[in-house]
Amino acid sequence: MTLPRWLRLALSHYGALIGLALLLIQLTAIVFAPWIAPFSPTEANPLDALQPPNAVHWLGTDDLGMDIFSRIVFATRVNLLIGFVAVFGSIAVGVPIGLLIGYYRGLPSAIVMRVFDFIQSFPVFVLGMAMVAVMGQEIWSVAIVLTLLFVPMFARLVRAEVLSLRERPFISAARCSGAGDTAIMFRHILPNAMTPVIVQISISIGMAILLTAGLSFIGAGVRMPEPEWGLMVSSGAQQMILGIWWIALFPGIAIVLSVLCFALLSESARVLLDPRLQLQERADG
Amino acid sequence: MKAARYWKRIPRLGRIVLTKLALLIPQMFGVTLVTFLLVRLLPGDPARLILGNFATDQSIALYRQRLGLDQPLLTQFGIYVSNVLKGDLGVSPFTSNPILKDLSERAPATLELIAYAMLLTFVLGVGIAVISVVRRGGVIDIGTRIYGLAAGAIPDFWMALLLIFFFFHILGWAPAPFGRMDPILTPPPTVTGFLTIDCILAGDWNGLASAAGRLVLPVLTIAIVNAGALMKMAQIAFSDIYRSEFIRNMRACGLTEAQIIRSALRNSLPPIITLASFIFGFLLGAAVLVETIFSWGGLGQYAVQAVINSDYAALQGFVLVASAFILVVYSVADILYEIVDPRIRI
Repeated sequence: MTLPRWLRLALSHYGALIGLALLLIQLTAIVFAPWIAPFSPTEANPLDALQPPNAVHWLGTDDLGMDIFSRIVFATRVNLLIGFVAVFGSIAVGVPIGLLIGYYRGLPSAIVMRVFDFIQSFPVFVLGMAMVAVMGQEIWSVAIVLTLLFVPMFARLVRAEVLSLRERPFISAARCSGAGDTAIMFRHILPNAMTPVIVQISISIGMAILLTAGLSFIGAGVRMPEPEWGLMVSSGAQQMILGIWWIALFPGIAIVLSVLCFALLSESARVLLDPRLQLQERADG
Repeated sequence: MKAARYWKRIPRLGRIVLTKLALLIPQMFGVTLVTFLLVRLLPGDPARLILGNFATDQSIALYRQRLGLDQPLLTQFGIYVSNVLKGDLGVSPFTSNPILKDLSERAPATLELIAYAMLLTFVLGVGIAVISVVRRGGVIDIGTRIYGLAAGAIPDFWMALLLIFFFFHILGWAPAPFGRMDPILTPPPTVTGFLTIDCILAGDWNGLASAAGRLVLPVLTIAIVNAGALMKMAQIAFSDIYRSEFIRNMRACGLTEAQIIRSALRNSLPPIITLASFIFGFLLGAAVLVETIFSWGGLGQYAVQAVINSDYAALQGFVLVASAFILVVYSVADILYEIVDPRIRI
């Protein structure tokens, strides 16, 4: 076979293909939202309220007469923006911290670890809810709160890798050839410690999307009329009991597909980045 | 030396419990610090934040004095801790009750929901995991892969709405998703706070049927969404043990499959217990969402009301109680972990 290894692996995993396809759909929705969406995502039109899916409003309209399809398309921007900002923000903060507390052992590192243990022992959703409520229900506060909640996770992942890497012979070799602490940390250890972080990126984006949706659902996240998937499900929650299913159903499907997409990509990244897992994975599942 | 000898004389169980309790105290202290900082580090006047926009200047001045806001932050924290220790979490300006009273009135509803949900999650997660490992490659094994992937992607609040739509609106099997019991029935006298148990104690079978019926959908929602994670973990733990040497030995000795499974399960319990305790933390978050949908009237719904009303004192109280509760659950799980694994030295 002449195809590059990553492509062969991707093709041999249906999961990776589905994940990539879903990602592509979401990226298209983000970039071309104004052209794809037939209606404005925030304009209420009471005359068209509560229409079931039809030829004009493909996925129906909500109680304010807003077009559900258009809102789902535009919400991709909001949900993925929060997810990406939170995850890459927490990587930017968490990875250097993990590197430092893994490389320098001592009291300060131990204290930082205890603090992380402690933060992670809080129920994520409860803490997130309280923090967003206190900071104000805005897109940016949701992103900042999720960033703070994810920092310990990434710092821990890096620390665990650093702890084993720093004892390896190639680090001693680097030190013998005169490399300082900074050079060893950033040039020699960091590139080798990133694999678990890369695998975690995708799955964390999914987690961020679920948390954002949950927060918005109870009114502690993004607020109307901003399009956001959890908020859209929430606006259809009352109607669901009366049998008006389309308001809550479709944004929920969007959440499931989006989170599934990032879970599949994370799984594929794990396989791709692990040289020990070869193509025969396909044979035994 | 002497202390060590006394320590060794305490039975193993006692030593496990004492070590965990010693850890619990600084953790509880940390929880109070976080809930304290939650409201205090905000820009603006905490007294005005807590009392809301309708408070008079006089009441705010009084409240500032009570919280010690004119004093250094450390003293303020001291005042907060001593209030918490006295059980004084403040008064909610919306229910005008002491927050501790509000919380303790609503706690049983949430605990009942979580207890049944945890039970079903555990049975479902571990049960499916065992079947999928024993019958490897079977329909259930393949099904678990899809379920494991999908369960992590389904938002619990959406699952709840789908269940309501199918079982209440279309099929009409489930009772209306409003509250813990049919409002025309009189609730049983409160003994445990668990409606199902109180109904049994009072011999109120109609009440029991109503309370149990209303538990079905919320419990099912939480279990379906959370059992996936437990299942994946249990699969890994159980399959390692199930394919280990000593199980092969048991099989060679001619023990029945049921005996073998029981023994393998017993040995794979420690990691499962740890994960189950983490899932408990998730359940508390899930309860917030699910309670709102089913108008459950528990802690979760109270917290959501607090968020909507910007009732920071109530929110602070809820976070404090919820986190303290989770810490206790984790400690209990740690204790169980060490009890079921006699190799751990204390």
